[in-house]
Amino acid sequence: MIEARHLSASFEGVSVLDDVNIRVRKGTIVGIVGVGGVGKSVLLKLFCGLMTPEEGQVMVDDVDIASLDFDGLGSLRQRFGMLFQNYALFDFMTVGENVAFPLEQTGDCPPEEIQARVSERLVDVGLAGSEMLYPRELSGGMKKRVSMARATIANARILLYDDPSAGLDPVTSSKIFSLIERLHDPNGVSVVVSHDIDRMIGVCHEWILLHQGRVWFVGGLEAVKMSSDPVVATFFDTASQGGGV
Amino acid sequence: MTGVMARVGRITINTLVVVGGMTTLLGRILRSLFPLRCDARETWRAFYKVGVKSFPIVILTALFTGAIMVIQSGHYVHKTGATSLLGWAAGFAVFAEIGPILIGLMFSGRVGANNTAELGTMVVTEQVDALRSLAINPTAYLVAPRFLAMTVMLFLLTAMGDLFALFGGAVTAKFMLDVPVWIFLQQVMDAQLLDEYLLGLVKGTVFGMSIAVVSCYYGLTAQGGATGVGRAVNASVVAAAIGIFVTDFVVALMWGIL
Repeated sequence: MIEARHLSASFEGVSVLDDVNIRVRKGTIVGIVGVGGVGKSVLLKLFCGLMTPEEGQVMVDDVDIASLDFDGLGSLRQRFGMLFQNYALFDFMTVGENVAFPLEQTGDCPPEEIQARVSERLVDVGLAGSEMLYPRELSGGMKKRVSMARATIANARILLYDDPSAGLDPVTSSKIFSLIERLHDPNGVSVVVSHDIDRMIGVCHEWILLHQGRVWFVGGLEAVKMSSDPVVATFFDTASQGGGV
Repeated sequence: MTGVMARVGRITINTLVVVGGMTTLLGRILRSLFPLRCDARETWRAFYKVGVKSFPIVILTALFTGAIMVIQSGHYVHKTGATSLLGWAAGFAVFAEIGPILIGLMFSGRVGANNTAELGTMVVTEQVDALRSLAINPTAYLVAPRFLAMTVMLFLLTAMGDLFALFGGAVTAKFMLDVPVWIFLQQVMDAQLLDEYLLGLVKGTVFGMSIAVVSCYYGLTAQGGATGVGRAVNASVVAAAIGIFVTDFVVALMWGIL
């Protein structure tokens, strides 16, 4: 469903990703982990065409996104829902308007239905009745949850979550990960970038560890546990706060 | 010597990058406007913010502009007794040059800087990426409405500002030179300054376009968090002021030829 072939990306001459090959199969929830600055967020942006790789290809549903023109890329992006690391809420819109925005833009949803779906999704993320608030009136955790509601409201088949639990308390983090699991389309894919290994364990079907700009490890939880690679073992033992994987 | 050459080369390349970027942005804006594909709500918001909220400061600027023109010419009027030329002198200077330029500079400082800061913040907080991820073209959604609003509103603000400048001049003439208001206004009418008034409106419109492209370009290319946004605003204000003087020169030249 999503495939990265020999992807390389760099910023101001510094290589971030180098020859990355990843295949995300339909129906899976994939966790991408690695130390800060290793290129996890960059990888998500490459997946949905927000960034262009220096080398390599990103294939979505067997289509090379580099081959698409502006309109083609636009219609491809309608298959994506993305939660951004910095919330990316439109600060000139209310919470309700932010969450409704993806539905309004498709133009095929009547206003009453949009209203109902917005209310329902805000209940899901624990922010019922906050429609009229502006992002500046929300805490960091609340902004993250509004962003989560906006990313998922259009029922996109490909959901990309960039650090969904950053800045959240443990209870809200658990709720967010439960929501990720619940909203996952069995015919789609969900890709989660996070440092919250303990909560990812119950949700992710497959793990990708990025190390030194490359894919260092790919596999399920069992493979993680059985891996004798010191990088894998050290990373998961250190990152997991709950006593190791 | 090599260092100097390298510096000149770097400045030249950077200037060309900026000019090329602005030209590309203008092309994208025009493509979004023909046919019109702007979001109605965002366009309304831009018109309100750019026009209605700028009205008081522009009018204040215009009133003082007219007043200053009369004070400056008052000295010579007293000396020569040529009070009949007061309305013509003030009207000519305000309509053709001082009015549009000062209103444009004030508009650039208020609206242009604000626009760069707003777009820059949207870029560094990933709001522009969020729009793109939702299959929305940021140029059509964010930039084209601002371009439209700044162009139309600076035209209207110049049109009204010129009249308020005359009013400011007339009041000043009354209290400082004892020239009755109606005589001052009659002198302006007799001077037949329609050409100069139209020239000022053309300048206002072109300044609006220039401020919009410059401020949007610097906003959209901001990077590096809050410091980067600050740098972008600074660069935008300087470039917009330069843009006003350059386009003023070009329009005046073209007007003379045509």
